[in-house]
Amino acid sequence: MRRYFLPAASIFLLLGLLISAWQESRHPKPIDLTPTLTGQVEYCLSCHSDLAEISSSHPVKSFGCVLCHAGERLALDANLAHSTMRAGKNPSDFSVVQASCGGANCHSGTAEDFRDHIQRATTSIQATYAGAIANIRYTFGVQADLKARLGVFAVQVPQSTSGITELAAFDPLQETNSFILAFGQNCLTCHLSALPVQTGGRYDHFTGCSACHTPTQSASLTSVDTNTATQVHKLTTAISYTQCNTCHNRGNYDLRSMTFQPRSDLPTDRLHDYYQPIAQFTRCEWKLDCVDCHTRTEAMGDGNLYSVKKNIQYIQCKTCHGTLADRPQTRTLTDPNDPAFRLALLNPVVTLQLGEPILVSEKGEPLWNTRVLPDGTYQLVGKATGKVFSFKPVMGSACTQTGDDQSSAYCHTCHSVQR
Amino acid sequence: MRPSFLHHLHPPTIPARQARLRYSLAAGGLAIFLSMILLVTGLLELFYYIPTPDQAATSIQTLTFLVPYGGLVRNLHYWSAQFLVIVTLVHLLRVIFTGAYAAPRRFNYLLGMGLLVLAVLLDFTGYVLRWDEGIHWALVTGTNLVKSIPLIGNALYIMLVGGTQPGPATLIRFYGWHIFGLTLAAGILTGWHIFRVRRDGGIAVPPPALRQDQARITRFELVRREVLAMLVTATALLLLSTFAPAPLSAPITSPAPAFGTTLAPWFFLWVQQMLKLGNPFFWGVFVPLAVLVLLSLIPYILPKPTKPELGRWFPKSNRLAQVVALVIFLAMLVLTLLAFLPAS
Repeated sequence: MRRYFLPAASIFLLLGLLISAWQESRHPKPIDLTPTLTGQVEYCLSCHSDLAEISSSHPVKSFGCVLCHAGERLALDANLAHSTMRAGKNPSDFSVVQASCGGANCHSGTAEDFRDHIQRATTSIQATYAGAIANIRYTFGVQADLKARLGVFAVQVPQSTSGITELAAFDPLQETNSFILAFGQNCLTCHLSALPVQTGGRYDHFTGCSACHTPTQSASLTSVDTNTATQVHKLTTAISYTQCNTCHNRGNYDLRSMTFQPRSDLPTDRLHDYYQPIAQFTRCEWKLDCVDCHTRTEAMGDGNLYSVKKNIQYIQCKTCHGTLADRPQTRTLTDPNDPAFRLALLNPVVTLQLGEPILVSEKGEPLWNTRVLPDGTYQLVGKATGKVFSFKPVMGSACTQTGDDQSSAYCHTCHSVQR
Repeated sequence: MRPSFLHHLHPPTIPARQARLRYSLAAGGLAIFLSMILLVTGLLELFYYIPTPDQAATSIQTLTFLVPYGGLVRNLHYWSAQFLVIVTLVHLLRVIFTGAYAAPRRFNYLLGMGLLVLAVLLDFTGYVLRWDEGIHWALVTGTNLVKSIPLIGNALYIMLVGGTQPGPATLIRFYGWHIFGLTLAAGILTGWHIFRVRRDGGIAVPPPALRQDQARITRFELVRREVLAMLVTATALLLLSTFAPAPLSAPITSPAPAFGTTLAPWFFLWVQQMLKLGNPFFWGVFVPLAVLVLLSLIPYILPKPTKPELGRWFPKSNRLAQVVALVIFLAMLVLTLLAFLPAS
């Protein structure tokens, strides 16, 4: 029997070699990509070739994956490859956004060329939550006025023209008042660095830039998929109201119990979904998407620190409709570098032409998805829907407004929708 | 049959009783076989490895994931290195538990101890060459241990690390030691060790008159058994290397180790566990060195094995040496297992 040992051992070694070769053949076939912006080869596509390109502004051939996501570009082992990714699957989280999205040629450019997105977004009131924190602390007598002193994270803006140049980090555990402590523990879920509260996927969203720019919620209400909401690989400026709703209409904070009360209705159409049942609104306020009227400075801030939303939110009914005395402000696009062109390029629902008149806001921001028609009426194209809406100025209409009152309740007296 | 070159490397005959697997455990022979695998796979790795902090870890990633069979070569190198340390320890224990170190083999015992130290140093330097977060903590802790040595610690640290903290100079020095300095020393000592086995009269047996069993096997049978052992070992290594990849983690990018791996390589875990007892020099340097010296002195200071008892397990004459070795190795084993327990 001993004479069979050597042949048997040789056969086993040969079998081992075959098994080894078979195993080698099962490894993922490396797919290389050398993005033009990094010039460094990466192999992420070996596993992720089925992933849709994140946006036409970030073509994978130029950006690749590693520039934004980091990770081990050469590793074909999932654990190792993903071990050094920035903030897991969301590199736009504000803890890492500078490394992921920043850079003078990317989103931390200067205010003059409108590329200071990171500076503006991270100091905006949606990011700092400074207003709510100041308000709560004032209400419970911890601070003497409503001026913001604390934010979700510490931030300094020496050049801020609002009178507030820095915010310290709000630490609920430092607060002696139990309500403020409870606020800090239960209600700090409504800013750009906060993970969504558990609402069964319906109001799931990412943090950082992706909170708004990654459409985790399908605009079609019937196809809410709770499993895939956070699997979306997309960046867009065509932001549907459903994305805004993941924070702004997902429920309420009960200030008596300092708890979050999720929205209890499960609407199936836009009219009932747009606002919670308590809200009053006009036709354009639910037919359009939020971003059709509200500008990027309102949403992302203007680089200054503020205490309250009203300091930065300024679009009113009259911005588009004017008053009995004045038509809305317009601008004829004569400068090829007008920011309107770039905004229209990023979300090409309209094709703007040089010499074309569009509406502008009181601060001169282009409402680039509008145009002034020759007959003196106006047209707006939905940024998220592409739908065309026509509307008229107040001037010359039967409206009996006083003109100087632009408060929501005032206009809603005549113009609210019943549902 | 005229012996071939390979046969000629072996003695014409050796005692049958001591040539059995249950006596020799094939440990010495396997150590040589593993060393040969390490040499070949190491040479292949040289073609891809880049010994700079920026590129070391990524060059290993390239080798592992992108070079055809590169991962297999690396895994073979890794597993052979781990087994080499184990097999060398088994060989040492076999020699102590059979009293085989008795004169005239005392000097060869010291050469063997030298080879054990070299195997461990080669394993540690090779481990550091990964230059990834998985080795970072052990590198910083291990080199800091050198600093704790009184008087010469700081100078030794500078010599070893090439600066005040691990950096490019450290990596190139460890690389130099791994592929050249230690390998050359190990090669010379291995040759010397094998030469002394023959010069000291082959495997330890009682003098001819005292042997119970006079049977011998030929070099042809010996080589046949060696080839069998190599085939079995090669198959086991191949399968292990195919399915159990050598560890790899993200490249080192900052001087401070990232939170996570705080374990020394397995063969130093017993030292790591002792460090928790206090004084780093005493527990981290002095005690391990004392253990090494004690083991090395066994043939010189403890009761000697008698000639008639040679060539079999657990002779009565050197019982004390067996107990000392057993206690030392059990203590190391217990300390190693303790290191895996979660910190209390």
